[in-house]
Amino acid sequence: MNKFIERPRYLCTLSGAVATLNVLPRVIPIIHGAAGCGGNISNALNGAGGYFGSGYCGGQALPSSNVYEKEIVFGGEERLAEQITNTLKIMDGDLYFVVTACMVEMIGDDVLGVVNRFRNEGLPVLAAETGGFKGNSYAGYDIVLQTLFREYVQKTSLKESHTVNLWGVVPIQDVFWKGNLRVLKNLLLKLGFQVNTFFGEGENLDNLKNAGSASLNIVVSDTFGIKAAQVFEEIHGVPYICVPLPIGAKATDQFLQTVGDSLRIPKAKIDTVIAEENALYYSYLERLADGYNDLDFQRYSVVVGDSNYAPALARYLADDLGWLPELVVITDLLNDEEKQLLSVRFQGYTSGITPKVVFDTDTNNVSKHIQAHWPSNKSQKYYDSFNPAFVIGSSFERALAEELGAGYLSVTYPVSNRVVLSRAYAGYEGGLRLTEDILSVIVGNR
Amino acid sequence: MDYIKDKIPPVREDRLRACNAYGGLGCDLVEQSKKGCLNGTKRTFSQAQGCQLNLSLAILNTIIDAVVIIHGPIGCSGSNLSMAGMGKNFQKLRHPEATGLRWISTNLGDAEVINGGEDNLRQAILHAEKEFRPSAIIVVNSCVPAIIGDDIDGVVAEVQNEVNARIVPIHCEGFKTKIMASAYDAVYHGVLRNLIQPQEGLGKVVTNDLEELKEKYRISRTVNVLNVSSMSRVDEVELSRLLKALDLNLNILPCYAHPDDFNKATEAALNVSICATHDDYFVEHLKEKYGIPFILRTIPIGVKNTNEWILDIASFFGLEKAAARLIEQENLELEAALAPYREILKGKRVLIGGGEIRVVATADLFQYLGLEVIGMRAYHYDQFVDPLLNDLSGNEKIPFNVATGQAFEQANLIEKLKPDLYVGHVGGNGPAAKHGLPILPVFHQSNTYMGYAGVFDIARRLARILKNSSFNRNLGENVRLPYFPDWYKQDPFAYIDPGK
Repeated sequence: MNKFIERPRYLCTLSGAVATLNVLPRVIPIIHGAAGCGGNISNALNGAGGYFGSGYCGGQALPSSNVYEKEIVFGGEERLAEQITNTLKIMDGDLYFVVTACMVEMIGDDVLGVVNRFRNEGLPVLAAETGGFKGNSYAGYDIVLQTLFREYVQKTSLKESHTVNLWGVVPIQDVFWKGNLRVLKNLLLKLGFQVNTFFGEGENLDNLKNAGSASLNIVVSDTFGIKAAQVFEEIHGVPYICVPLPIGAKATDQFLQTVGDSLRIPKAKIDTVIAEENALYYSYLERLADGYNDLDFQRYSVVVGDSNYAPALARYLADDLGWLPELVVITDLLNDEEKQLLSVRFQGYTSGITPKVVFDTDTNNVSKHIQAHWPSNKSQKYYDSFNPAFVIGSSFERALAEELGAGYLSVTYPVSNRVVLSRAYAGYEGGLRLTEDILSVIVGNR
Repeated sequence: MDYIKDKIPPVREDRLRACNAYGGLGCDLVEQSKKGCLNGTKRTFSQAQGCQLNLSLAILNTIIDAVVIIHGPIGCSGSNLSMAGMGKNFQKLRHPEATGLRWISTNLGDAEVINGGEDNLRQAILHAEKEFRPSAIIVVNSCVPAIIGDDIDGVVAEVQNEVNARIVPIHCEGFKTKIMASAYDAVYHGVLRNLIQPQEGLGKVVTNDLEELKEKYRISRTVNVLNVSSMSRVDEVELSRLLKALDLNLNILPCYAHPDDFNKATEAALNVSICATHDDYFVEHLKEKYGIPFILRTIPIGVKNTNEWILDIASFFGLEKAAARLIEQENLELEAALAPYREILKGKRVLIGGGEIRVVATADLFQYLGLEVIGMRAYHYDQFVDPLLNDLSGNEKIPFNVATGQAFEQANLIEKLKPDLYVGHVGGNGPAAKHGLPILPVFHQSNTYMGYAGVFDIARRLARILKNSSFNRNLGENVRLPYFPDWYKQDPFAYIDPGK
């Protein structure tokens, strides 16, 4: 049985599916469901995703069968067939992808049956069952990838030893997804590998279609896109590794080592890339030798976010920025095994810091966890307060930061108080960007 | 009208001459609707839009010191994610102590679809009470629990004894209506059944006859002005200014009201709507139940409509002379202020999209400013717009499209009509911008739109936006819409099926 969630930071399976298809080049999603599903989702993708907008075929352009009471009573298959037929006439795309909402699954529409009629005519139409009650946005991302890997990626026995696929950075739920994919891809290019990310700059559907020839799948997550990786391995025989999202020099060094080892890249080559990147990174960070130490930039900090960002941000704060991430709240719906996996990511910091980690889906509980973690002032004259402090979370944490009198930057979804275009927080480059953004908040009122 | 004894309000298809799919001329629309020709219209291709739950949330999220529980799968509360940040700011404009949006999703999953979700709802209500101690807990019902047969009123009745907050069930399941505006009735239905419970003498201590007389006098000069969630605080200030000039007092409801404020709705001499399609359900019931008369006729957008709106209210109180003086003075001042803008705006060809009443009122406003209205798009149609539409100059030749969203029809219309300017609501502006057009967004919580101040502000903003539309022009040259070129050669309304 599910528990209610107070101010959840994700939507439903359908939403994750729509977001994923929205950012896949020249793909036309078709919702088979009630009229409001698409509008509701588009609001969240745009207004809470750093003003992502509606993309090529999202927002009010998103085809949707808009079933009402009549179809709920008599079935919606006929309406779906009509909608697909007309979508193929009006909407200009290379792949059409039907995703289902709660209602049509509950009434038992045979969506795959309808879609197969079009496929049998050679039309590029796919479908996945993504009814909202199945899970959250991340589940929708995974389901769409699974379907694409099963149905769209071509089977091939020819493997290219220097090509890899990379995913796990969930579009829109990671508001900086496109920048992050760019950075991660560039890092692997430096190691001498071609990379398909499917959603990244300059990629098209061929990157996806030919992904079967890759020699390794790199899932930049412990929790997102894992089932899709298993499907990929089962169908195309490509193994996968899971690595955490790297932010800053320390984590990215490790990312390159882990990925490099898996790809059997000579140690000397990996070390060279790491050395070059660190030299560049510190040529910029050097500038802060004065500011950081004249103004005492160190902060206690609270990190609130999903299971990709929370570990990544905490580690960057501790090991790169030399801060004190006291409390980390991971807001995803996770099973015990996933929680265990994630807990390990908070161990072995080079700084020796070990943040307190809690798993909680409810937004209002974050401040309670701070109160539980940090002793409150019992009218003491000399009180070690939680100050100076900084909060990195979502738009929701603005109120918490005000309450704490802390600095604040929104990084994790939802982000409605920043505009995000090509910015990346992953890698060395992203570490520098994040350092700029965080410290600019601290000096921002000068 | 008396639906409030029922748990669930009727949808608009059953109550009004409502439709959401039409393309043609405005005058034909009214005629065909009267003949009942539009009852079966539908689209054979359609795009995503809002549902009555989305629109209900837009209103309910404004209520102060409430917790909103969205009873459904986790996605149904999604649009709140984008509203949370600014919602708090807009609440604070009215109530500095406002806490901002607080909501809970009952997060119905596979297990609940099979076994029912009533227990999730019960737990969520108890949590809302314990965690926030709100004045009201608003339960918004979605499609899934309606299909699995959750008895939300039953749960509410059972739990109400355990919580102090008043629990307000709202029946706004998306699949039940094509008319998103059914949300207004769904919300008012919940308010009427659960938040308006006037109890004689409660909360007021009348110490002497004089005070009692004063109170009676105050009520006799008080109007309820019914606001909408997409108007701004500045709009409210402007409408207050105009009515206070007639020495009237105002209650502003329902948006940004505190749950306790709804009882005051019965302590007024008159209900004044600013949008008939928004308020008819509420004012009809208040008249039926509490004998409070109402004015529903017009919307204070544009000079002509604002003049009429003031006059209608003044006539009720016998203040015609004072109103005439006010209107004359206001019109003179406004006219002088508008003079510099008339030259800039003259002859600009504009396409307008948004809610039916406001689209037509805005068309009138633009004609007044000297622009040429070449097309209108309304989210839905019902009989409340008939008088405005029949009065609109050029109505017999201006294309009118009834569509909740449906960006493909908009794209086709824009390519065919080639307007100089698009004026629209959130959601339709982005797609229009990709044609390279300058856009004036209206109907937003940050804009001044109503009364005389609204006319001036729109003229001023229009002139500013037209001064440099490079951003959108660049977009138009560099991005493309997702339609085949062939679509633009077809009739924009080719996928509207008139039905039987």
